[in-house]
Amino acid sequence: MTRKLLHTALVLSLFLPGCRLENLSADQLDLITNSVSSTFKAARPISDEEEYYVGRAVAAKILTSYRLVNNRKLTDYVNLVGQAVAIHSEKPFTFGGYHFAILDSGEINAFACPGGIIFITRGMLDAVSNEDELAAVLAHEVGHINHRDGIGAISQARWTEALTTIGSQAAKTYGSKDVAKLVGLFEGSIDDVFKTLVVNGYGRSQEHAADLASLNYLAATGYDPHALKTFLDRLVARSGGSQGGIMKTHPATRDRVDNVAANMPEQKSDAAHFSERSRRFASILGK
Amino acid sequence: MTRAIITGVILLQLTGVALAADTARVIVKENAIREQCRFFSPVKTKIRLNDRLTVTAKSGDWYKVTFKGVSGCVHKSAVEQKSFKLGSIMGSGKTASQDEVSLAGKGFNPQVEASYKGSHPEADFHTVDTIEGFKVSGDSLDEFLRNGGLNAQ
Repeated sequence: MTRKLLHTALVLSLFLPGCRLENLSADQLDLITNSVSSTFKAARPISDEEEYYVGRAVAAKILTSYRLVNNRKLTDYVNLVGQAVAIHSEKPFTFGGYHFAILDSGEINAFACPGGIIFITRGMLDAVSNEDELAAVLAHEVGHINHRDGIGAISQARWTEALTTIGSQAAKTYGSKDVAKLVGLFEGSIDDVFKTLVVNGYGRSQEHAADLASLNYLAATGYDPHALKTFLDRLVARSGGSQGGIMKTHPATRDRVDNVAANMPEQKSDAAHFSERSRRFASILGK
Repeated sequence: MTRAIITGVILLQLTGVALAADTARVIVKENAIREQCRFFSPVKTKIRLNDRLTVTAKSGDWYKVTFKGVSGCVHKSAVEQKSFKLGSIMGSGKTASQDEVSLAGKGFNPQVEASYKGSHPEADFHTVDTIEGFKVSGDSLDEFLRNGGLNAQ
């Protein structure tokens, strides 16, 4: 009954002239405020800060299988290209920022950990032909981060259980029992994300959306968006267009190429600057 | 009944934001207030997680803000402008953002990460920390963009 009255008061106060929330008693106002707060907390998504900690742990898990390429000049260059497209994305700033690292692997792949750590393999660097193609690959990964695709892999049931534990604690620090429970849920969340990133890959619609994001970021940055199509065309040719192929987690399929072609932004090509970018790419990668 | 309450709550949230959104909470580890509303504009002061900024205007994807007497611009992705003043509508001193701030730091946090590290010594957080040190300065990124004929914004 009280809830019904509160709801009525709330709606009336918002829509009827002359009916103002100031007319409610302090107790009623507190009740509404608490109701607003607890309702939103109960259903809240994973925060950017929590996403950051999940992403760090996913990266730490990936690094149990891969070593980093220890080449500061190359790493700095990849970070410059990555940051160039990231600042032209919807979310130029994440909780911990974007950081790009090169995995010492001949596989052709790239992984976007939730929060902003992006891995690209040495094999992928060998596979791209110029800076614009490298930017296309990194922009695709930035797209996954902007769309929160990695964090979206966490099972809803697991997150709901985590919220129950989180919600039962008023303090920022937890007792040992709650920590043990949260760590178990944290570990499960990391496994959910890891499986999607490294084993199963994203769904087709997520790949298409990340490709479209890549096109937009490339165009906004001033890179040639056709670079994404050129690169995907080459991958399709290499893999024979099969699912899986050389990029198990980002299958280069004909429908991805078609999706990219159908959504190609208008962009005037600037041959002089493209040459300059290709020159610095070749110089740093030794191509 | 539940649906009706949720509808009311959402309306209050939306209306509250529209009517009285004048503060913003920093939601990234660190960022900066810049002289002008664009990347690479000189930094006037650093801001950190949970700092509360007063929003004075909007300029595209940027907010014009003041913080500890310093005025400038911050990108919208670095702040959360949900911290509307319920008190200004309701006559109550309580704000939703106080709840948000108390919520910040809860959930998957450094304490959980530390405990996870203890049970997973193989997880390479040391290299993750190294990767988080891979940064490019605003000046070098600006120069990189310009040399490549790219947009600096």
